Amino acid sequence: MTGSNMTLDQILIEAFALMFLYATPFLFAALGEVFVQRSGVLNLGVEGMMLMGAFSAIYTVSEKGLGQEPLVGLLVAIITGGLLGLAMAVVSVTFKAEQGISGIGFTLFGLGLSSLLFKTLAGGVMTAQGRGFGALSIPVLSDIPIIGDIFFNQNVLVYVAFALVPISVWLLNKTSWGLKIRAVGQNPAAADAMGVNVNRVRYSTVILGGILAGVAGASLSIAVTPIFQENMTAGRGFIAVALVYFGGWSPWRVMAGALLFSIANNLQIWAQILNLRIGGTAIPPNLLIMAPYILTIAVLVFARQRKRLEPAALTKPFERGEN
Amino acid sequence: MKAKLYVLSMTVLLVGLLSLGSLAAAQDEPVRVAVVLPSSTIDLAWSQAMYDALVAVQSELGGESAMEIAVSENTWDVTAAADALRGYAEDGYHIVIAHGTQYGSSLFELAAEFPETTFAWGTASDAGVDRGLTNVHAYDVRAQQGGYINGCMAGLLTETNTIGVVGPVPAGDAILYNNGFLQGVHACNPDAEVLVAYTGSFGDTALAAETAQTQIAAGADVLTGSAQQVPGAIDAIQAAGGYWFSTDVDQAPNWPDTVVASMAYDFTGVIKDIISKRANGELGGTAYELRLENGGISMVYNTDIEGVPEEVFAAGRAAEAEVRSGVVYPIAMLPDEPFRIAVVMPSSITDLAWSQSMYDALIEFQQQLGGQSAVEIAYTEGMFDVTAAAETLRGYAEDGYDLVLAHGTQYGTSLFELAADYPDTAFAWGTATDTGLDQGLTNIFAYEARAEEGGYVAGVMAGLLTESGVVGIVGPVPAGDALLYINGFQQGVAASNPDAEILLAYTGSFGDTALAAETAQTQIAAGADVLTGSAQQVVGAIDAIQAAGGYWFGTQSDQSVNWPGTVVASQVFNWTPVVGRMVENVLSGQLGGEAYELSLSNGGLEIVYGEVDLPQAVLDAANEAIAAVQSGEVVVARELPENEE
Amino acid sequence: MRKSPFANARFSTADLFVILVPLAAVLLALAVGAVMLLALGTDPLEAYGSMLEGAFGSDAAIFRSLTRATPLLLVAIGICIAFRGGVINIGAEGQLFVGAVSATAFSLWAGESLPGPLLILLTLVVGFIGGAVWGAVPGILKARFDVNEILTTVMMNQIATQLLFYLLSGPMIDPEQIRQGTRIPQSAQLPDASWLPRLAPPSQLHAGLFIGIAAAIVVFVLLWRTTLGYRIRAVGLSRDAARYAGISVARYLTVAMVLSGGLAGLAGSVEVTGVTHRMVEGFAVGYGFSGIVVALFGRLHPIGAIPSAFFFGAMLVGAERMQRTVQVPSATVTVLQGLIVIFVVSSELLVRRWMARRQARAAAAPAVLPGVPTPASQEVRA
Repeated sequence: MTGSNMTLDQILIEAFALMFLYATPFLFAALGEVFVQRSGVLNLGVEGMMLMGAFSAIYTVSEKGLGQEPLVGLLVAIITGGLLGLAMAVVSVTFKAEQGISGIGFTLFGLGLSSLLFKTLAGGVMTAQGRGFGALSIPVLSDIPIIGDIFFNQNVLVYVAFALVPISVWLLNKTSWGLKIRAVGQNPAAADAMGVNVNRVRYSTVILGGILAGVAGASLSIAVTPIFQENMTAGRGFIAVALVYFGGWSPWRVMAGALLFSIANNLQIWAQILNLRIGGTAIPPNLLIMAPYILTIAVLVFARQRKRLEPAALTKPFERGEN
Repeated sequence: MKAKLYVLSMTVLLVGLLSLGSLAAAQDEPVRVAVVLPSSTIDLAWSQAMYDALVAVQSELGGESAMEIAVSENTWDVTAAADALRGYAEDGYHIVIAHGTQYGSSLFELAAEFPETTFAWGTASDAGVDRGLTNVHAYDVRAQQGGYINGCMAGLLTETNTIGVVGPVPAGDAILYNNGFLQGVHACNPDAEVLVAYTGSFGDTALAAETAQTQIAAGADVLTGSAQQVPGAIDAIQAAGGYWFSTDVDQAPNWPDTVVASMAYDFTGVIKDIISKRANGELGGTAYELRLENGGISMVYNTDIEGVPEEVFAAGRAAEAEVRSGVVYPIAMLPDEPFRIAVVMPSSITDLAWSQSMYDALIEFQQQLGGQSAVEIAYTEGMFDVTAAAETLRGYAEDGYDLVLAHGTQYGTSLFELAADYPDTAFAWGTATDTGLDQGLTNIFAYEARAEEGGYVAGVMAGLLTESGVVGIVGPVPAGDALLYINGFQQGVAASNPDAEILLAYTGSFGDTALAAETAQTQIAAGADVLTGSAQQVVGAIDAIQAAGGYWFGTQSDQSVNWPGTVVASQVFNWTPVVGRMVENVLSGQLGGEAYELSLSNGGLEIVYGEVDLPQAVLDAANEAIAAVQSGEVVVARELPENEE
Repeated sequence: MRKSPFANARFSTADLFVILVPLAAVLLALAVGAVMLLALGTDPLEAYGSMLEGAFGSDAAIFRSLTRATPLLLVAIGICIAFRGGVINIGAEGQLFVGAVSATAFSLWAGESLPGPLLILLTLVVGFIGGAVWGAVPGILKARFDVNEILTTVMMNQIATQLLFYLLSGPMIDPEQIRQGTRIPQSAQLPDASWLPRLAPPSQLHAGLFIGIAAAIVVFVLLWRTTLGYRIRAVGLSRDAARYAGISVARYLTVAMVLSGGLAGLAGSVEVTGVTHRMVEGFAVGYGFSGIVVALFGRLHPIGAIPSAFFFGAMLVGAERMQRTVQVPSATVTVLQGLIVIFVVSSELLVRRWMARRQARAAAAPAVLPGVPTPASQEVRA
């Protein structure tokens, strides 16, 4: 059964399988941003860090570049993201710069540098076809009809991303580090008075955020797709930041947001290819492309938000003084 | 006399030397070319095509000393682009290329300000001539041509009958390509389903990959798409073991096992022409159109690829030849709602002649656009009576048909009245050349066939084939395209065999097959062994000559289908491109005012051979004749002087 | 003695520091950039020389910088209102598009029936309203449903982009395009009467510059001399305190977003009536984000936005000229922009510390305990 002959459940199975794959970059970046924001910092430079992570990973892995194993590529992306995160931390925490604007600066820097390096080092299309992270079928489980296809036959990094969700929850809620993060984010003055090194905590989260943004980029260039193109993230970094708000700073709900956005996006592609019509008139593709964004806003309007996780020191990031 | 000749030749020589010298002198200073691009020079798409062409021309002209290139890429913002264009003009660049449709608004202001600079702009067709500008060139790409060829191959290659198109945004040359692609698929494989989706951006490779994977999940095994996002989609289809058709540049070198063919833009011709025009003092004013015919578009076939049957490439080349010659005309825009065409014909749709030729074309066009869901066809045949035909035409106009065809010369008078009554309906009329413009009507198209051209070629062959030296013509009435054909035929026979005797007779009717048979038999009795004729009556004549073991040359439709061993060749009227052009005009708001003709040069007339074994000399003569008519070397007269022989 | 309205403005001679430090930061950024240029095989002096020339080297260059600065200024002024009102408006990009499209639609519709000046005025008003509506949506969603504005504005940017594509290739496409069969996604050209007058032909500098400067003054007065402005700022400083003082937080959050969106919409309208004269693809790309940078460089003060916008516009124009002259890849310009933003914003600390010390010396300033974070320390700046 192909094309317009497919039944609805066939379509949904395919859509859900793709949903997990394409939610992965969002998930990595958004989880990183959760840590950052829970500690009271806003990092709008995720986009630039993702691009640098994407380029460094593919350059390491591609035959045209260094030809290394995907794990080495991932490591390079982690280091790249970490370095950028460190720089962001220096600027935002030590230099106490306005965080939104420093984020934009890093986005510009990352966008420009990744394109420049791509131009000068690669000089043309660079792929990691066959050399990146591939799909991993979980034995036995992947044979289960329907469920197996959707959940247990995914790319390696997909499993890692989703595993990070409960790990993040544990880190934030069950470790002393997580406790410090939350304290620093809610009331840095009090935390400081209690002997917590606010700056060091924030450094750690921002560096982690950079690392995960780098991994998110790597997932785009050597896992989800084995390709790099200039500005390939196309705004995903900003959407990841938005998803943190969507999920109310809770890793599980952030994951839900990433999944919701991805499934909506995949379904609109189906709607386009199957020529979905409303009352006989074709829907203009631009309107379908808009749909996931409208949906995300709509869901948030109608879902009651519990605000207890909101880092109080984050709401007015530009009014902050000594942190 | 001798002295004059001497002076003349010396002058010519002098002038020649001088111009050669000045050309050489002019080439001492490098020509400085600047280009503003909306994306990267390595985007594997629109911008790269121009950049690569500039570099190629530079190396052809002799390197940097001959041609200087300056580039501003990724200039998506129009204001920044305007600044860049102005900056280059101020810096004294000779030729400034604005390689993006969105740059147009600033361009004309700038051109007026820098009258010594040559500006070029694409995709666009407005060279600013009506604004009084003389230093702007425009260039446009008929991407639908390459799209059609790719589509045809894709349609034949797919094993799942499902094909995917990954578009960026539904605009510009991407949509032209997609439209052509769809028509190609429909034409070569009507059963294939095409899944089209747009990502909404140009550079989002991951979204292109997702779109591709969705299409693959829906069963697609062959994909195509455009813009710099395509590497994501190409990788996806490669991983799935499928195939890809490219546009803009040849992408096979990067994915040699996946890319079957590419429609590559070749801007070098345009660039060189702009440079040489400038050297001759012409700074602008040309609207270039890159197409297959002029090398602006070229198809690159990756024949080394594994797993693609040779038939697919053969079909692709055949499609390319058809598009190039005009036999196939992929239209630029596709209708959003079913396009409704109605036709009124004087004879039957199975008449193997005039009416069938148009009916067949409409069906072919319908298939090209995707079948009945895309094009609705209504017809009324056998309308020989003019009054009844007028009623029918009016009825179709009232029913709101988009295009109403009056397929008979005799319908003309009623048509002109009708067109005035229904100014929002597009009408078409043939055989005719009068579109009623001088009467103030803007909603009538006219069409005719240069039947004399094919007649000439048939006559050339007939003259060589006849063993008895006697050739017969069974005409209906000495009028219309029948007369054109017959006149051409006679000229052809005279050209190849001046000693041959021609027996010409008219039956006085179009449909009297028995009378045609009788006429034929009379001519056979008089020694004719090769016959020809026109109109639906000919079936009687063909039967007769078949019984006598002779040969037939047909016109209007391919008559060899029923008598393959007897019909040597037929001049087939290929109305499909004309229908395509008319529909294209209607979709862009122009309801009439154009006259079309079918000729050997524009693909409207095709010589289609039957299954007769012909001596090579005859085939060669035919090809020579066709070439001579196409080139204009031979002009076939439409009328013959009264005193023949 | 009546205080001059600018008494609290920070541009006295002692505040030279405020300008010198960012300038030094820019130079530092360019120094880092020079390393990059050297790696690309370019002479940094030649490159930066052409950059200066491109931005300031002639009357034409200055006009170009001013032209580019105009929409940035308007967006930045709007951002000042939003950020001071406590809303992080990242949606200026979308608000600008919607404003420009609204202005275009109105101007095309009313073009024949209105006299010149009235047409221009109404067109700009309609553009303002368009942007305001687009800003109102996130504003209301935040005020009523507490939906975070970063989320909504990011989403609405994407929605606006797609909406623009749809309109320009569909309902608003230039009939000329259909007639010519080229179908370029752009609107028809705006009627001549609605064009903002050009100030210095042949440059594209247009009267929008004056509109921008006027808007800066108006908004300055609004924010610091009216009750409305006071309330917006109060909500921005502390929602709880404002609520306690009886100020409706929901209302003034929304007002801040509406005004901010409106100014972004005005920026788009001014660009379309002054520069491009029709809506096209590639319109005002990235101005929404650049406007945020400009606002923050101007210390979130509308008057400060004026020199900040000029500088930023000059930087853009100069960098593009540099790219053309030394032919480095365009990505170089983006890297330089990023470096400049990072360095300048990092230097803020020095400026702030200087300002804090200055205020502390001027007595009657709230005590600042070292090492303890004080969220209100920035209020001192206003």
